[in-house]
Amino acid sequence: MSVPEFAIVGHPNKGKSSIVSTLSEDESVTISPVPGTTIDNRHYPMAVDGEILYELIDTPGFQRARAALEWMRSHVGSAVDRASTVRRFVDEHQQDPRFEAEVHLLTPILEGAGILYVVDGSRPFGEDYEAEMEILRWTGQPSMALINMIGDSDYSDDWTKALGQYFRIVRVFDAMKADFDRRVQLLLAFGELREAWRDTLEKAVRILREEQARRRRLATQVIAEMLARMITHVRRRRLEPDVVMDAARDELLDTYKQDLVAMEQRCRDEVEQIYNHRDMERNEPVVQLLDEDLFARQTWVLFGLTRQQLVATGAIGGAAAGSMIDLAVHGTSLLLGSGLGALAGGVSAWLTSDRIANVKVLGHPLGGKEVSIGPMRNINFPYVVLGRALLHQRMIEARTHAYRGPLEVDARPGQLQLADTHARRRFEKLFAKLRKQESYRTDLVTSLAELIEQQLTMSLA
Amino acid sequence: MSHFSLLSDLIDLDGKLEKDSTIDLDSRRQRDRRIGRSLQHDRNQPVAQIRAWLHEITVGDAPKNGPQGARLYHVLCVLLLVAGLLTGWGLASAALYYDGQQPINVVNAVLVLVLPQVLLLLVWLLTALPVRLPLFSQLGASLGFLNPGRLTGQLASLFIKGDDRGLALLWHPDNAAVLTPAARWLFSFWSQLFAFSFNIGLLMCTFFLVSSSDLAFVWSTTLTISDAAFQQLLTVFSAPWSTFLPEGVPSAELVSNSRYYRLDEGTLAGATATPQLAGELGKWWPFLIAAVTGYGLLPRLVTLAFSWYRFRHHLRRALCNLPGAPELLARMNSPLVSTLAAEPEQAFKMSANDGTVKQQAGQYALQCAVIDWAAACADEAAMTGLLAAMGIGVEAFYPAGGRQSTEADAALGRSLCRRSREGIGILVRAWEPPTLEFTDFLSALRRQCGDRKPVIVLLMGDADGVTASDRDTWQLMLSQLRDPDLHVEVIGKTA
Repeated sequence: MSVPEFAIVGHPNKGKSSIVSTLSEDESVTISPVPGTTIDNRHYPMAVDGEILYELIDTPGFQRARAALEWMRSHVGSAVDRASTVRRFVDEHQQDPRFEAEVHLLTPILEGAGILYVVDGSRPFGEDYEAEMEILRWTGQPSMALINMIGDSDYSDDWTKALGQYFRIVRVFDAMKADFDRRVQLLLAFGELREAWRDTLEKAVRILREEQARRRRLATQVIAEMLARMITHVRRRRLEPDVVMDAARDELLDTYKQDLVAMEQRCRDEVEQIYNHRDMERNEPVVQLLDEDLFARQTWVLFGLTRQQLVATGAIGGAAAGSMIDLAVHGTSLLLGSGLGALAGGVSAWLTSDRIANVKVLGHPLGGKEVSIGPMRNINFPYVVLGRALLHQRMIEARTHAYRGPLEVDARPGQLQLADTHARRRFEKLFAKLRKQESYRTDLVTSLAELIEQQLTMSLA
Repeated sequence: MSHFSLLSDLIDLDGKLEKDSTIDLDSRRQRDRRIGRSLQHDRNQPVAQIRAWLHEITVGDAPKNGPQGARLYHVLCVLLLVAGLLTGWGLASAALYYDGQQPINVVNAVLVLVLPQVLLLLVWLLTALPVRLPLFSQLGASLGFLNPGRLTGQLASLFIKGDDRGLALLWHPDNAAVLTPAARWLFSFWSQLFAFSFNIGLLMCTFFLVSSSDLAFVWSTTLTISDAAFQQLLTVFSAPWSTFLPEGVPSAELVSNSRYYRLDEGTLAGATATPQLAGELGKWWPFLIAAVTGYGLLPRLVTLAFSWYRFRHHLRRALCNLPGAPELLARMNSPLVSTLAAEPEQAFKMSANDGTVKQQAGQYALQCAVIDWAAACADEAAMTGLLAAMGIGVEAFYPAGGRQSTEADAALGRSLCRRSREGIGILVRAWEPPTLEFTDFLSALRRQCGDRKPVIVLLMGDADGVTASDRDTWQLMLSQLRDPDLHVEVIGKTA
């Protein structure tokens, strides 16, 4: 069975490319107010592991429809010959630059593609469309008219009446605002054009729904990972002996903030990529820390041990060495050897630790003072980040690929609230665990992703 | 496969996934799904899938960091083995030192060679308890510094240069979310390896001393404990090996014969020293060997194997949970759904050609025939008024375009030009951009009327007027005709 093909045809600048861009989720389609931008057919196959289920074909707009129709009328014998006359027109004008657009757009139709005729429902109907519609009727191919609402005015009723005379199915479809469900509904409607296409299109829609669910899962996983990373993020810096502590802490705080912003930006980019939005401009205020007084710790390390641990280790080592003396005197020392050894080990570890810490081995200092900042303790912070991420995800999921304006992610306070207290409690439990540095439990991230997905599904329902 | 290559793959995978994130997502999806489809037999084995992916992706470009990291891991294992052997040997030679003067107190030997090990084993057990239990988590963290494996990790960091994290990847803070469990069990494995080889060192040294010298063991206490009670205590202590190694349990006779008093250069409780007795006192060694084996070597073997198993388990888990790995698995195992264009677009970009389209609203003083293109004008009287306000007097409206034939359009052009009007206006809907059919008509009109006769394209808007975008489109399109006497004017307001 041949693959269902659909040629998107119409007058120039009536949103053919917008519809193709939305249905194919391809933002590489040039959408321009200048007519004649599309000069050749472009194919958009819906392929699953290489198997093509259907194909959309974006075509140039009609340029000389009246002249083409006049040629056909002058060459047709009877109504029976209309389709073959169109074919003859195409064959005879293959090399004719005058009818380049008509030849291009009619070729796939004559090869069996269904016709999707696009008009702008926000502008009034005009006589100059009649020749185009008549030519399409002559082809005898199954056809559907799509009323694309480009502007704010609504002339869809007039258009429906006019189009109804030429097309069996007339649908209104807003290429700029159509959400996923509307898109797949339209695809299912294509199946009404020809019985043989229905099963294939239903299969395609099922796969697209699965793909959409998979994308949502992936996006929530990305958001959950970002949240876990942001909540548990800690920045450390080894202090050089001559560095002022306050200056180092301020510098570290700046770096910490930049890290969080970078994590959020990366998450946004990944979510957008998941939904095939790549070259999109995004305007979003950077995340605020809510709490500038982040917990900054100053620690001392040597071989990864704190000073207390090092002293304890020294004391244990000293005790072990001292126990040899106790052993040698058969215990008559009353463990004095162990005790003195522990004392000597502990004290010498304390006294020499600074000097050893500054020693470099193979270019690496063995230890020294270290300042660290994070993790974020503010209990509202994860909700702010989550709210922003959810808003962005919802906007991306709803955004069509025909819309080329910047994405304005400007969350109002009300949009960041989790209305469901049960969900909030579950989120809080997970956030609390993450705050306690149990971040190595990857199942926490998985649970968080599941919870976010539930939240998303609820908000989109 | 061994955990050495698992470790190597983990290090390589981390580097590869990081580099991979710079590649376009579509390319990655295509590539990963192709590899995923060839690995369908491993569909439910994510570790095998990821490793096969890694090997496929690095064919001809074998990464170095992984093998280097695994090599460092090997080197550190060997170092720990040697250190353990030497320490064990050293401790045993100190604890079993005998110069023929004072016999070795078997109680002291057990206290030095076995008891600390049992205590450290208990510490290990506490640190190895599930960290999810809050108390044990704290305890584990507090006691963790005693772990020689952790110090080995710090030591390993010294050998790692530049940005390549290599083996240090396991305890690098960036990957703590995924790799902390693996690092924890790596440190545990290293510490148990040290402890195991320490026991081997102990046993080797003990065997060496037993076989190359005569050792005399005694036991001594100030407490009023009978030989029988002491023997009973030893029997309980020797319970783990008493059934299959009976000679490792000191007999009542041996206990009785080797009780020792240090008074007056030392005397044995049982009898005066004879060569037979000296031989008898040496019979404690099977007990000592069994004690080190039973309370040191074998438990450490178990903890070593357990740590190895847990390390391997967490390495496998980490392979599937490294940042980017779940997405990779999803790409490999989900059908590749593509709706994107199959070929690049061939879009026509029109360049502006300023100066060839004139606009001078309100400055005309012309009597014009007005062509109503495709029935754009709904109310001729109102339109006449609007055009008069622009200085354009309407002689008459003539239909063209739309339902008119192209032949009729051509005839109209010829007729209007012949009558030599001052100018010709063409009324069009501004929102319908000019097609080539319209520009054909304009070109024909210019040919028929000759140069210099003004042709004014009059843009008519809808209720909101003509948009700036529509006006610009018309101007841009008609500028391509390079007609100096072609004008584009907006009727009424611009929206």
